[in-house]
Amino acid sequence: MQSWRRRKSLWLALSASWLLLVLLGGFSLLRLALPPRPQPGASQGWPRWLDAELLQSFSQPRELPEDTASPPQAPHGGSCNWEACFDTSKCRGDGLKVFVYPAVGPISETHRRILASIEGSRFHTFSPAGACLLLLLSLDAQTGECSSMPLQWNRGRNHLVLRLYPAACPRTFQLGQAMVAEASPTVDSFRPGFDVALPFLPEAHPLRGGAPGQLRQHSPQPGVALLALEEERGGWRTADTGSSACPWDGRCEQDPGPGQTQHQETLPNATFCLISGHRPEAASRFLQALQVLAALQEMSPARVLALRQQTQFLWDAYFSSVEKVIHTTLEVIQDRIFGTSAHPSLLWNSPPGALLALSTFSTSPQDFPFYHLQQGSRPEGRFSALIWVAPPGQPPLKLIQAVAGSQHCAQILVLWSNERPLPSRWPETAVPLTVIDGHRKVSDRFYPYSTIRTDAILSLDARSSLSTSEVDFAFLVWQSFPERMVGFLTLSHFWDEAHGGWGYTAERTNEFSMVLTTAAFYHRYYHTLFTHSLPKALRTLADEAPTCVDVLMNFIVAAVTKLPPIKVPYGKQRQEAAPLAPGGPGPRSKPQAPAPDCINQLAAAFGHMPLLSSCLRLDPVLFKDPVSVQRKKYRSLEKP
Amino acid sequence: MCASVKYNIRGPALIPRMKTKHRIYYITLFSIVLLGLIATGMFQFWPHSIESSNDWNVEKRSVRDVPVVRLPADSPIPERGDLSCRMHTCFDVYRCGFNPKNKIKVYIYALKKYVDDFGVSVSNTISREYNELLMAISDSDYYTDDINRACLFVPSIDVLNQNTLRIKETAQALAQLSRWDRGSNHLLFNMLPGGPPDYNTALDVPRDRALLAGGGFSTWTYRQGYDVSIPVYSPLSAEVDLPEKGPGRSFALEATFCVVLRGARLGQAVLSDVLQAGCVPVVIADSYILPFSEVLDWKRASVVVPEEKMSDVYSILQSIPQRQIEEMQRQARWFWEAYFQSIKAIALATLQIINDRIYPYAAISYEEWNDPPVVKWGSVSNPLFLPLIPPQSQGFTAIVLTYDRVESLFRVITEVSKVPSLSKLLVVWNNQNKNPPEDSLWPKIRVPLKVVRTAENKLSNRFFPYDEIETEAVLAIDDDIIMLTSDELQFGYEVWREFPDRLVGYPGRLHLWDHEMNKWKYESEWTNEVSMVLTGAAFYHKYFNYLYTYKMPGDIKNWVDAHMNCEDIAMNFLVANVTGKAVIKVTPRKKFKCPECTAIDGLSLDQTHMVERSECINKFASVFGTMPLKVVEHRADPVLYKDDFPEKLKSFPNIGSL
Repeated sequence: MQSWRRRKSLWLALSASWLLLVLLGGFSLLRLALPPRPQPGASQGWPRWLDAELLQSFSQPRELPEDTASPPQAPHGGSCNWEACFDTSKCRGDGLKVFVYPAVGPISETHRRILASIEGSRFHTFSPAGACLLLLLSLDAQTGECSSMPLQWNRGRNHLVLRLYPAACPRTFQLGQAMVAEASPTVDSFRPGFDVALPFLPEAHPLRGGAPGQLRQHSPQPGVALLALEEERGGWRTADTGSSACPWDGRCEQDPGPGQTQHQETLPNATFCLISGHRPEAASRFLQALQVLAALQEMSPARVLALRQQTQFLWDAYFSSVEKVIHTTLEVIQDRIFGTSAHPSLLWNSPPGALLALSTFSTSPQDFPFYHLQQGSRPEGRFSALIWVAPPGQPPLKLIQAVAGSQHCAQILVLWSNERPLPSRWPETAVPLTVIDGHRKVSDRFYPYSTIRTDAILSLDARSSLSTSEVDFAFLVWQSFPERMVGFLTLSHFWDEAHGGWGYTAERTNEFSMVLTTAAFYHRYYHTLFTHSLPKALRTLADEAPTCVDVLMNFIVAAVTKLPPIKVPYGKQRQEAAPLAPGGPGPRSKPQAPAPDCINQLAAAFGHMPLLSSCLRLDPVLFKDPVSVQRKKYRSLEKP
Repeated sequence: MCASVKYNIRGPALIPRMKTKHRIYYITLFSIVLLGLIATGMFQFWPHSIESSNDWNVEKRSVRDVPVVRLPADSPIPERGDLSCRMHTCFDVYRCGFNPKNKIKVYIYALKKYVDDFGVSVSNTISREYNELLMAISDSDYYTDDINRACLFVPSIDVLNQNTLRIKETAQALAQLSRWDRGSNHLLFNMLPGGPPDYNTALDVPRDRALLAGGGFSTWTYRQGYDVSIPVYSPLSAEVDLPEKGPGRSFALEATFCVVLRGARLGQAVLSDVLQAGCVPVVIADSYILPFSEVLDWKRASVVVPEEKMSDVYSILQSIPQRQIEEMQRQARWFWEAYFQSIKAIALATLQIINDRIYPYAAISYEEWNDPPVVKWGSVSNPLFLPLIPPQSQGFTAIVLTYDRVESLFRVITEVSKVPSLSKLLVVWNNQNKNPPEDSLWPKIRVPLKVVRTAENKLSNRFFPYDEIETEAVLAIDDDIIMLTSDELQFGYEVWREFPDRLVGYPGRLHLWDHEMNKWKYESEWTNEVSMVLTGAAFYHKYFNYLYTYKMPGDIKNWVDAHMNCEDIAMNFLVANVTGKAVIKVTPRKKFKCPECTAIDGLSLDQTHMVERSECINKFASVFGTMPLKVVEHRADPVLYKDDFPEKLKSFPNIGSL
């Protein structure tokens, strides 16, 4: 019995050893038996030549060619590039000045509005001789307004033919050296760096303003279709993440069936949309789309998030109105003329976009209030106070002392906008004080004075009253939000049902959408925007109705940032004693004739209502907390 | 293996009482097995000299010994380059397939020597640079030795310099390549195109549909989106260590701008030298397509001046602000380091560009191509960069993490359910030993209430991106936060809508640098500053749940779960690091758990707690390699908070002062 057991264990040991031997030996034998095939990659790659060191260089110094003078020539005479066909010498000085050929005969409403939008832009000039770009509108053929060859044609040199809608006029004359801006140009005729590709615009595209993007949230909603694609018949189909993707071999055999896709008439709610490009082979697109699906499913949420937001930004910045499309075209051409002082790529591709970030202000992104994050930079730690002294015009001595007391104040500028003579004596301050003799116009307040060197401006009215710690705290807040206005007193806008228009009030409410510029911090870039990008009509409006200027400035900043301004605490007693706004705290308490209409005129000029409301105020962390005032840094803010 | 050998050695001792015949039999058997094992073992560890020497034979050959191919005079010649070629017309992308790595496969034809009917060679076999280039491709991830799996073919026929070739015969050599097929999916590298007297700007060798990576393209010959413009490699660049020794380079080192003039050819090797010196190239060569211009933003590194404006160069350069010049110099140097300095860099950049076209959804971004490392490090690209105020109607999802404090949990649920914008309540039940209360026992609330049971009691469960979260806004709330009022919570949600990319929370905390200990310290005292909000009660975007769960750097996530602490600090680090922005503390509220508590909250006074939390900050700062938290001195209150204004007219009257 025992020996049987022993024998059993013996056999077990023996067979285990055999197994091991067979396993190990087998591997070795296998390796011996197979030819010593080199490992893929390592040894089958490009050989290491024994004589690699002896190989000759591809270019021997002696065979370098001699210089020749003739530049490379275009293979066909008709082709153009920027250097060959555009004469930039005409654009010296003012940059891009555009002359638009007037329409011959009766014109359509669209045509008229497009003309108006160019004439309203900062590029426009009425003199063809002073223009560096001559613009020829080529619109719809139906109204019979096809243009004949214009007078100053000059073989099309420095001309831009703008074709906003397809199926425009037949070519009645040779385009020659003219640039063409049109929708969906073909690869064969499009000259990169010379022509401009436009989006396809429907007839009903709004002239200015335009509908904002429809994206209401950053990330896709759960359960929304992954992909929507246009069908030949005009409807839409959607495909979900569940749809099985065809293998990537170019040919999908079977139709995925109705279970996985749905047909719809209108553009469905989907994360991605497949654009077929209106080609005859569009019928087969659907199957290929399923291959796209596989790629889309692989895409990381971070990338989907980024793409979604970028589509909205591009739409808002460049596509949503005819005016934006035209101004973008001109901006593109201006960038070619500017060369080194053109918009850097970052300005084109991140909010607020190149139409609102003027390269004439700076070509360094960190000079703007918008790009500090991307640049890893931060706004300067000091500000310039700009005090506007309007009639009756007492030198604001107390205010100057309070502002100069701030450790962040770099300089004080007094804008004397007053009939009275300049006072000869000004208070002694720790920071430089400069007096500028203004032109008695409200818009002077927002001129980009070269003396303002700091990023931040504290805009003040001589009658404003602020304490040093109010200034200090507000400036700290501004540094966290350099693209916004940070103010003490607020206005709020509302839709007035009774009058069917916008209205605004200075009454204290639970929400606000504007801050008064008579005491507010903002970036000096907004002075450039105010002076150089606003249509002149709007600045005139502000000059004629001074209370309107607050609204205008808030419109500009809101249109650029798409965010509400920020309110910081303000000693309330003084608020009632010394109203900040010239002519009263608001239009309601002391109505002035043009004021109520101001906001509606601006909304019309902007094409939409850019103002947004906020329901919060930023206070110091321990503001009015039941704790010893000794602990509080901004204790004077709480004094009754 | 060792163990079995020992066992076998002891083997014979186990069989002492057997018959001798059997004994001998067994001993012999064991010995054979033993010997076999030893032999096998030795073979395993013996240096495999046979194979190695074989490898050596395969690799180390002489260039002179490559096979010779005779090209008959009448062998076919490809069509001339097709100027209308684009990726969708002349390139078969289906060869590349859909692959998870999104990488094209590149095959290199074996090197051969081509001779004509008379035995005269067609060209130099291979130049040093082309050999280096093919070696770089072969060593890269793109390479495949399987011609059937390849989607891009690189001939080993060296056409870098047109002057060293016989054009017709070279074309014939191309045409007889095994997969030539009119040149589709074939890539040729040429740096010196054309020849006297008129110097064409692209390689004159007929090449049909082949892609050309050429140095010196003009707008007339460059097929945008198809060809790749590459630099003309400067052999001087090889002497990386001694830049000042290169002829003509001493001037470049001192100059700010260096003029690169068109010669007979547009592409100039001097461009590379100029970039290396960090000198801003002033390119005066009309119609020249700058190297890698498909992806490189040359406006950032160069000044292009039309030839007819050559006389204005001085005034053009003078108008460039100093800061822009410095950025251009940095950019020039970066371009050289990344894309010009070696043949390898040129080869890999070319393949990357082609790869980006074939897998556009996985393409390298503009920033990755163009931003120098110093900018990449310093910059933040906020994942929620679009200024957008989400509509109020969306509401928020409250997520309550709980273990077993059912009574307190129910109270929190009841309080939170009063908030108008609450759209769903999610209870994360983190206790595996106990079942959640029965359905009938839960408070009846007006919004859906879901209970998620977790597999493990981990803190990170609270930040998991559950499918049940349908809103963008998430309110994370502990099961003992009973003091927050409905007004406070609703106001917090409104504030989040204005700052959807930030953590918007109630308990504020601060990190400080401890100068004595030389490390970070956690602070929960009454301070004038805030740098964190605790996720015991905070609103944030649900995308951060995804980031926390899948993209948290280093071992932080596991570390937090192991220590059962600091998940909130980790979230603050994560959000601040990815957005570059500070938190928003809302309302003055300091007490959250019980009205009687004297301190800010009971826990904070515990000394060990403070030490642990400080440890967390130091640990996270070292993993992130930086301190991302931003300190601010403000908090968000309702516009009319503590204003002299009728309470009943205020939107959020019930804001506690403690």
